Amino acid sequence: MPSNMQAISSSPASHCGSVDHTIHRRQFLQGSLAAASASVASYSALFSVPAIADEVQKQGKKCILLWLCGAPSQFETWDPKPHTPTGGPFGAISTNLPGIKISSLMPQCATIMDRLAVIRSMKTEPSEHFQGIDVLTRGDKPRPPFVRPILGSVIAEQLGQLDCPVPQFVLLDPCPEGNEFKAFKAGNWAGWLGAEYGPVRAGGEYSIPDLARPENLTQADHSDREALRKFFSRRYENDHRSQAAASYNAAFERVRGLMSCAPLFDLETLPADDRKRYGGGAFSQHALQARHLIENGSTFVMVANGMPWDNHVFQHEMHQMLVPELDNVLYQLVTDLHLRGLLDDTLVIAMGEFGRTPWLNEARGRDHYPNAWSLAMAGAGIKAGTVYGATDDMGIDVRDNPVDNRRLFATIFKALGINPHEEYSLPGLPTFHRVEADAAPIEEVA
Amino acid sequence: MIQRILLTVGILSSCCLPPGTADDSHPLPTASENAQQIDRFLADHWAELRVAPAPLCSDRTFVRRAYLDLTGRVPTTAETENFLKDGRENRRFALIELLTNSEDFVQHFTDLFDTLLMGRGSDRDYEQRHKHQWRSWLERVFRENQPWNTAAAEILRARPTTPADSGAVWFLYERKEKYQDIAEAVAPAFFGIRIECAQCHDHMIAHEIEQQHYWGLVAFFNRGKNVNTKRGPRVAESAVGGFSEFATLDGTSKPNLLTFFEADVVEEPRPEKDAKEEDRDDLYTPGSDDAPRIPRFSRREHFVTDIVAEHPLLATAFVNRIWAILLARGLVHPFDEMDSVHPPSHPELLKWLADDFRSSGYDIRRLIQTVAMCRAWQLSSQQPEGVEDSSTFSWYLERPLTAEQLARSIQLTLRGRFANDSPLVGNVRNAFPDVLPDESISTIRETLFLSNNPAINQFIHESSASGSLLDRLFSLPDHNQRTALLFETLFCRDADSDEHQAISDYLGSDPDQLKPRLEHVIWSLLTSAEFRFNH
Repeated sequence: MPSNMQAISSSPASHCGSVDHTIHRRQFLQGSLAAASASVASYSALFSVPAIADEVQKQGKKCILLWLCGAPSQFETWDPKPHTPTGGPFGAISTNLPGIKISSLMPQCATIMDRLAVIRSMKTEPSEHFQGIDVLTRGDKPRPPFVRPILGSVIAEQLGQLDCPVPQFVLLDPCPEGNEFKAFKAGNWAGWLGAEYGPVRAGGEYSIPDLARPENLTQADHSDREALRKFFSRRYENDHRSQAAASYNAAFERVRGLMSCAPLFDLETLPADDRKRYGGGAFSQHALQARHLIENGSTFVMVANGMPWDNHVFQHEMHQMLVPELDNVLYQLVTDLHLRGLLDDTLVIAMGEFGRTPWLNEARGRDHYPNAWSLAMAGAGIKAGTVYGATDDMGIDVRDNPVDNRRLFATIFKALGINPHEEYSLPGLPTFHRVEADAAPIEEVA
Repeated sequence: MIQRILLTVGILSSCCLPPGTADDSHPLPTASENAQQIDRFLADHWAELRVAPAPLCSDRTFVRRAYLDLTGRVPTTAETENFLKDGRENRRFALIELLTNSEDFVQHFTDLFDTLLMGRGSDRDYEQRHKHQWRSWLERVFRENQPWNTAAAEILRARPTTPADSGAVWFLYERKEKYQDIAEAVAPAFFGIRIECAQCHDHMIAHEIEQQHYWGLVAFFNRGKNVNTKRGPRVAESAVGGFSEFATLDGTSKPNLLTFFEADVVEEPRPEKDAKEEDRDDLYTPGSDDAPRIPRFSRREHFVTDIVAEHPLLATAFVNRIWAILLARGLVHPFDEMDSVHPPSHPELLKWLADDFRSSGYDIRRLIQTVAMCRAWQLSSQQPEGVEDSSTFSWYLERPLTAEQLARSIQLTLRGRFANDSPLVGNVRNAFPDVLPDESISTIRETLFLSNNPAINQFIHESSASGSLLDRLFSLPDHNQRTALLFETLFCRDADSDEHQAISDYLGSDPDQLKPRLEHVIWSLLTSAEFRFNH
């Protein structure tokens, strides 16, 4: 058994025993077939029996991405410009970092600024959601037909434990809708890394349909028929060199893991106090669930909630609802991780795909603005208490230290101990690097 | 049996040409002649890129593929054998002709176009589409091979003149006077473009799609009103109103003139701002109890005659879509984003196909036959070494079965027959809503459905009547014969020795366990990739 095998915590993880705990009973897995099928590369996988250690694995870095899809306004979050013609109605408040002010809509985060790193000089290109989401979740522009894997897939591949039954990359997104984000969700997330590094999606009514084995089927029958299915299906996958079948078969693998840790996805198992602290909304509850998943073996959890931040209309009113929720969630999450001794290994990122215009449109909305915007990070290798970069007086352009998507990704990878510049070496793939053009991590941030 | 009769019809028969389109002096080329033209376009492209295409697929692969792509289900073992026995050199073309004239073809293409035009819906939406004859109207388009431009005009005009045409109103009616929804549905359904981005501003990337096109398209429909008549739902139209301005990003506002992408403005007198319009009777031709009155200046009518009739994208979008249905990606991909950001992989071929489609009188069946008879559709699905680009069409791109294909094929293989209204169809549809996905990505949701939802297990369990697959398996004398029958029925091929061994070992020797284990084996084959995909 490999020493790096995923371990699962003992308390909630008692639910989390492997489905594969028994070597398959039936003859068909043991007799002459095994020899005859040596040519089927994956056949041996039928015999693999992952063992689950008893204690939580505390080594290894993790990441939670609070994906603020639709793009929040920097003015109402990290880079307020009060008393300017376009600064909006909300003030700026002092934080526990001397001289640093953030929006008055974020009083709780103001008390933990010394744990955060804020970048106020994001400067990226795409100004439309789909392209913005693409670049800011994958780290680079598309180069068809090759599909760069999304951040969560890269991190799951680099830091995750594939044999762990707990899904390594989880997307918690209760809202199946969301305009361009909806279209984006329908696309290929894992890209050239392959489907096994794609996310398990959960959320919604806090439960996953069909997660439980049918009542009239024994555990043994359920896993035996799955083993048979896999045998037939992998043959097809191998014979056809089929990526579609690979994705299909990988989904069954992950379903097996997911079923074994079903209670992790049941919010009802979490303490009522915690649930109250995080707040009632789906985004808040899923942020709590993200903490729980990270504590129990997931490597990357992305929390989204459709595309609520795209406030072209009545942006102040909308942000007045959305920002305080974000303020509380980020505060609770960072504080919890800190108190549990997990913050040193867990990177938390809160960002959208671009910022909002300094000026207001006719509907008192702020439109898309990639030219100068902000985001926040905390934990893992992030240098806490940092505010990096600055915009000009009106927030129209970056004044100091512009950061593009490549430098951001290099910084994220560095904070997680991943080499940002490693070249992908995959068959049929032209030269690609984890981050292109040797973009340097921001020394002041990670 | 329409199929048996048609087997004897030669492929060069003119039975597939609709009357009136072939002129004796200049007969249209047949579908198979046309297909050779496609072959030339693709071959030139392969030569240019130095791509060696995959070889032709085997007859066994072909027969399964043809039934799935053209009739929405796998073949029965008898149908497979019939085809394999056919010694004629043109047996593949003959099969294409046979299948495209079958009722299952009608059902399959109705399923596809229902989803492409209406989108997926709730179980209740499907009941309504059925009850209000949308379904039967669409079936008739394919059964009678109505020209696509006529069908499109009937849908968009939404003024049925006979009871049988009633269903055509449902495209507009189901969208409940939500004019933006209507515009956002019309653009991809008939023109192959997406205009949502242009609601708030000119499309930021595909600059040619402008905000005035979005609001112009909305304006063609924004006088509609859903009404109920003795003959069923109708969409009435007002002769007044529907004038508004839209705000551009630079803060100016513009009138919502009657216009659309790649089309002129339809002139219409525009009242002064704030002027009160009088909705006078003389602005209409009178209606009756079962037909609403019609404005003398009907925006919908103008849309059909002034915009749709001559619009270059009407044919181009349709041929691109049929190409996408049969070859798993469009010549423009995605098939409903035919804008400057998504150039066609084979521009000349696309233009040629569209021109040919127009000159055939928008003959849907002939187009489908043309594409099906091209070499690319008959290639092996094994991706050739050294070729990555699927837009070369140098191998047959495997694609997941749609919910309807899957539910029908499961029924047919297990019970020897299928019903479109089986509860299995609804269950599978909810789990597998995608039709023509841009990429085939399996989701956890779908997989959980296959693994654990009772619907499939129960269906297998209850498919044990006399003559069913389970019943026949049970009565066979040994596991080898059982395995052979399973593979013939479900995969249209023979099992190899490993597969024989696997099933035989699993079934074991305990007679009490035979039936439940047979059910598990059926599940494992139905849910394996070989069944899930068309390849």
